[in-house]
Amino acid sequence: MITHDDELIALLLGDRRRSAALGRWLGTLEGRRELAAYRRTLEALEALYGDAAAAPRRTIYYCALPTPIGRVFVAAGEAGLVRLSFRQSEASFVAELRRLGADVVRSPARTADIVHQLRAYFAGERRSFDVRLDLRHTTPFQRRVLLAAARVPAGQVVSYGEIARRIGQPQGSRAVGQALGQNPVPIVIPCHRVIAAGGRIGGYTGGLGIKRKLLRLEGALAAAG
Amino acid sequence: MSVRSASLAELIERHRGELVGYLARMLGDRQEAEDACQEAFVRAHRAFGRLGPDANSRAWLYRIATNTGLNAARRRSHRAARAAEVDPDALPAAAGPSLERREELRAVRRAVEALPPRQRAALMLRQFQDLGYAEIAAALGGNEDAARANVYQALKKLRAALGGVRP
Repeated sequence: MITHDDELIALLLGDRRRSAALGRWLGTLEGRRELAAYRRTLEALEALYGDAAAAPRRTIYYCALPTPIGRVFVAAGEAGLVRLSFRQSEASFVAELRRLGADVVRSPARTADIVHQLRAYFAGERRSFDVRLDLRHTTPFQRRVLLAAARVPAGQVVSYGEIARRIGQPQGSRAVGQALGQNPVPIVIPCHRVIAAGGRIGGYTGGLGIKRKLLRLEGALAAAG
Repeated sequence: MSVRSASLAELIERHRGELVGYLARMLGDRQEAEDACQEAFVRAHRAFGRLGPDANSRAWLYRIATNTGLNAARRRSHRAARAAEVDPDALPAAAGPSLERREELRAVRRAVEALPPRQRAALMLRQFQDLGYAEIAAALGGNEDAARANVYQALKKLRAALGGVRP
């Protein structure tokens, strides 16, 4: 005896086409509920055991460099820059990387490129970065916000509302502020160039002193400002 | 002998990645999967002389890997159950950060771990290794209907673990 369950599974696995009887059942509340439940089951299975989950553990390499805003940590994997952090201890930075499900290795050699670019930036010799970013640990909304912020050139500032408008969500300036507050790669994605309406400085996860320092370095804020 | 040995090495090279992935899905532990895969290749080496020239060598390797994996699962059931390797909290954000979603993932993972090893093997072969029911039957023993029934039974149990779901 073939049950609706069997027919539904056969349909979802591509073993069989939809029969008229199954079509009718899927029109009922119970049918819709079961279809949703089996879809969620297959999605969960994919998330738990799919290629991404079964892939070998990745390695993230990090190192620290001294800068005018204090010690900066950077971390990168095969796919690109994963994290940049300051005002954080090495132990807590490493713990955060481990929570991404990676093996963490200190390696100046593997992070030399970004470190070189950051040195040039803090020396005033470079105004933008040329690195691959690995933003897989951000949400799609956050990525849209971050990529919009990445397009603001050095020496300029825009408001949270302007970023919200640029990503097509003009009412979303508060959400933009939150997304920028969780920027995994500050400085490289210059969320410090996004300020409050009316020219007020707004917030900064790294502290307003650092935000002002960065804007001054880029010439967006008068040296005395 | 040397010609055939070379082609077994090639065969192993070609399928090693997918077989380790399969065993990891079956056993829930990467290191155990690597060990089981190594053991499977030793068995393959011994049995290679009996592989006919027209045989489906991929299905043959899956059969050996499945037997090795089922043995490993059996040996393990005598020991304390080990913590699963797949941790929903360690999944990328795209997998769904909501609390409800994490609860779902946990429920499904527990249900997968509670499956009889043959059902788990059948499910993984169908869902992730792209084997047809005839090949699954060859890997597990039994006929195609039994292979299909194993896959369907497994999915019904996982679905039941989710409980009520809003359509």
